[in-house]
Amino acid sequence: MTTGLSTDRRRFLIGSAVTGTIPFMPRDAASQVPEPSRSPGSYPSVDLTLHVNGQEHRVEVDPRTTLLDALRDHIGLTGVKKGCDHGQCGACTVLVEGRRELSCLTLAVSVQQREVTTIEGLAASDGGLHPMQQAFIDHDAFQCGYCTPGQILSAIGCVREGHASTPADIRESMSGNICRCAAYPNIVVAIMQARERMEG
Amino acid sequence: MNKTLFPQHGANMGQPVPRYEGRAKVTGEARYPSDVRLPRTAYAYLHISRIGRGTVQAFDLAAASAVPGVIDILTHETIGDQIKQTPAIYQGGYASDSFRPLGSAEIAYWGQPVAVVIAETYEAAREAAHRIGVTYGPHSPPAADMDSPDAVAQALVPMAIDVGDFDAAYAAAPIKIDARYSTPAQHQNPMELFATQCMWEGGRLVVHEPSQYVNSVKFGLAEQLGIDPERIRVISTYVGGAFGAKGFLTQRTALVAIAARRIGRPVKLVATREQGFTVSGYRAETRQHVQLAAEQDGRLIALKHEGWELTSRADTVAMGAVSMTTRLYACANIVGRVNAVSADRSTPGFMRAPGEMPYGFALETALDELSSKLDMDPVELRRVNDTRTEPVGGLPYTSRSLMRCFDEAAAAFGWQDRTRQPGSMRDGDWLVGWGCASAFYPTQAGNSAARVRLTADGRVHVSSAGHELGQGMYTMMAQVAAEELGVPIERVTVSLGDSDLPPAVVSGGSAATASVAPAIMAACDAIRRRLGVGNSPPAGVRAAMEASGMGVIEEFAETRAHGLPLESVRDMYRGKALPTGGVSLPDRVQFALGAQFVEVRVHALTHEIRVSRAVGAFAAGRIINPRTAHGQLIGGMIWGISSALHEHTEVDGRNASYINANLADYLLPVNADIVDIQAIMVPEEDKLVNRAGVKGVGEIGVVGVAAAVSNAVFHATGRRLRDLPIRIEHVM
Repeated sequence: MTTGLSTDRRRFLIGSAVTGTIPFMPRDAASQVPEPSRSPGSYPSVDLTLHVNGQEHRVEVDPRTTLLDALRDHIGLTGVKKGCDHGQCGACTVLVEGRRELSCLTLAVSVQQREVTTIEGLAASDGGLHPMQQAFIDHDAFQCGYCTPGQILSAIGCVREGHASTPADIRESMSGNICRCAAYPNIVVAIMQARERMEG
Repeated sequence: MNKTLFPQHGANMGQPVPRYEGRAKVTGEARYPSDVRLPRTAYAYLHISRIGRGTVQAFDLAAASAVPGVIDILTHETIGDQIKQTPAIYQGGYASDSFRPLGSAEIAYWGQPVAVVIAETYEAAREAAHRIGVTYGPHSPPAADMDSPDAVAQALVPMAIDVGDFDAAYAAAPIKIDARYSTPAQHQNPMELFATQCMWEGGRLVVHEPSQYVNSVKFGLAEQLGIDPERIRVISTYVGGAFGAKGFLTQRTALVAIAARRIGRPVKLVATREQGFTVSGYRAETRQHVQLAAEQDGRLIALKHEGWELTSRADTVAMGAVSMTTRLYACANIVGRVNAVSADRSTPGFMRAPGEMPYGFALETALDELSSKLDMDPVELRRVNDTRTEPVGGLPYTSRSLMRCFDEAAAAFGWQDRTRQPGSMRDGDWLVGWGCASAFYPTQAGNSAARVRLTADGRVHVSSAGHELGQGMYTMMAQVAAEELGVPIERVTVSLGDSDLPPAVVSGGSAATASVAPAIMAACDAIRRRLGVGNSPPAGVRAAMEASGMGVIEEFAETRAHGLPLESVRDMYRGKALPTGGVSLPDRVQFALGAQFVEVRVHALTHEIRVSRAVGAFAAGRIINPRTAHGQLIGGMIWGISSALHEHTEVDGRNASYINANLADYLLPVNADIVDIQAIMVPEEDKLVNRAGVKGVGEIGVVGVAAAVSNAVFHATGRRLRDLPIRIEHVM
């Protein structure tokens, strides 16, 4: 039922993140760089610079730290959620270079030079919501809200990938994100609405 | 694709206003308890038992302690008697089980916490927890399930029901059904993990923990720690799903509190998904035996329903829903029996429609077998047995719209086009089957209190220690206050999920709205009385406030639910506000009722089973918000499909462990599994159940779906399947 990543895909993702060619993204030189957080652990900690929602964050983390935990515990972006820590539920979905990725299966060290977008980075600076966020409200596409940041980011990925042309297409392409409250029918309609606005 | 997703305002319904906290939930601003960042947090990680029964003989903590960053390790040797016993709620206490956390070397079930590591980082705590060595004493295999020779069954005599002479009536009846059913263990698996953060500030303890009952955590923890409850505050402003799993105090909270006190820093625990399978209760597996006897015209002559439910050795827990299944249809000769079967497992608990799902599956499948034997339409079988009074005590239903639900759902489904013969509705390689079943859920309520503040500029603040689980509590509270005081809902703010607020009922048993709405209404009454506008329309409140010259009016109200004794109001102020109602009242029975229809498609070659569409109709009194209520109902129906086809916690007979304790192997429906779900809200007015006229919709959507699916599979294939879940291998 769940569509977790296969081992091959998992290995590919981590491999490509570490060794692949990485496009250089210009950064806002004036962006604030917070003091690195200290972190003892059984492995020598590593200094990282993460690019999240257009900002640079310097963190010092245990090399085993996942992107999920780095975002939540070190940077304070707690919109991204831990639902299983095993890539089985999709609650931790973020966009990496615009592509949906499971942040619990991504080591923080592997995304240093890549732009990460979390749910906090979607709304415009004036507070205006992304069409997908608005569509989720309009169609009541959530209940408890815990899987919602992951659903929304995955839905944006789904539209950008061109997998949102029919309800059946959306259902298939959104099946990596479990919603235990089971707002699935509303999620499908919300994505249909947002797709029109994103493409229109 | 049905684009009119939620119904608009209708008879005895409020407005379908969008969720109060919608923006917070789509922007990531909603702070769930594990999102709260506390200064200098240390991280906790559980080490759980890997045997199902025995003792811890020795720990080897050298390797774990050597992991850099480890601060502290708790075991029964360090905790000893520090955590005092608090009884389980089943014995009038606060806890979800009666095990004392790290109280001794004894292991009572697989997955029991045996050590807690506290470290500077999550990664270090996890590594150290895995480096803990545990030597277990000599142990024999545990009783893993009901079939184990060591499992002990006991009849729960107070739950027995006897009406008329079942044996004689059954023996003499012309038409009979005698069948056995089973349902598996299931876990709630809310998306949010079991997290707890504890911080001591001076002598005061603040607990951030997702909860359906903050006051159960507060008062139970105070009892365990031996401190004044007023020194504890429990905060749970958002809950990432609960479904019964977060109802009461679990063992983890006291451990985190003590860890935080020992190291003088906040401590955060996020139990893993696997550990979550034994952190709290679950839906225990059941076995059931149903015997029905009927006249040729379908009228029931005799009904016997007996259930066996698995429980732990420490706690005798049984949902015992024969109390309901024996009261749904007219019948003169009835027997109900409930048995608990103790094994070496963690204590079961509540899971959405706890008894109604399994017992409803058995009864409603048996009724379909009866209709089949009678060659009678299953809807008509329910109609000839419809009743205005329940047959056990002869008490009246406060309202009952069961057949109206069947008629509306049947019409929307197109039931009149069904051909009765199994296998007669084939569509190419797909065997198509249509099935139906009744849904029922007891209408309950508990005591609650609320505070409402009206300010001169027309703003309203409403507060009560209810809980936002996704059911729409924030929205409901705002909506009721807005309606009662005649202000736009945008002018209302809400506080909930905090033990410092006026206490409310546990958010369970579909009783939150039915309990808290009356308290808000009573507080609004008091405001209107202060303004001298008593019973005039709410529109007059604002003008009266302006004319009064007052800056703020704030009123507190407490309400007692029908059927609860006077002293129960004071129990609410010590974390013991539990709902009553349903079949537990001396003068009447209260049920929300509904009808479930499903279409199943079974592939003739691959035997794949799909629910291609489902239609439910539900009558549940007043609907405060048809939008959020609709979400509850379709979510419940999908839970019903899940109980029919997906969910099954697999128990390893060798050590009583859960084999599939993760979200890949514990099957849950994903988006692709759900095609076409329609929930119809049948207008119903019931002024008796509670002042708000609300019956509650949190759980009824689940009930009856599994039976409707199994009945549809029979219609598609001619195979009568009586054991859940129904999977490919069962229709081959």
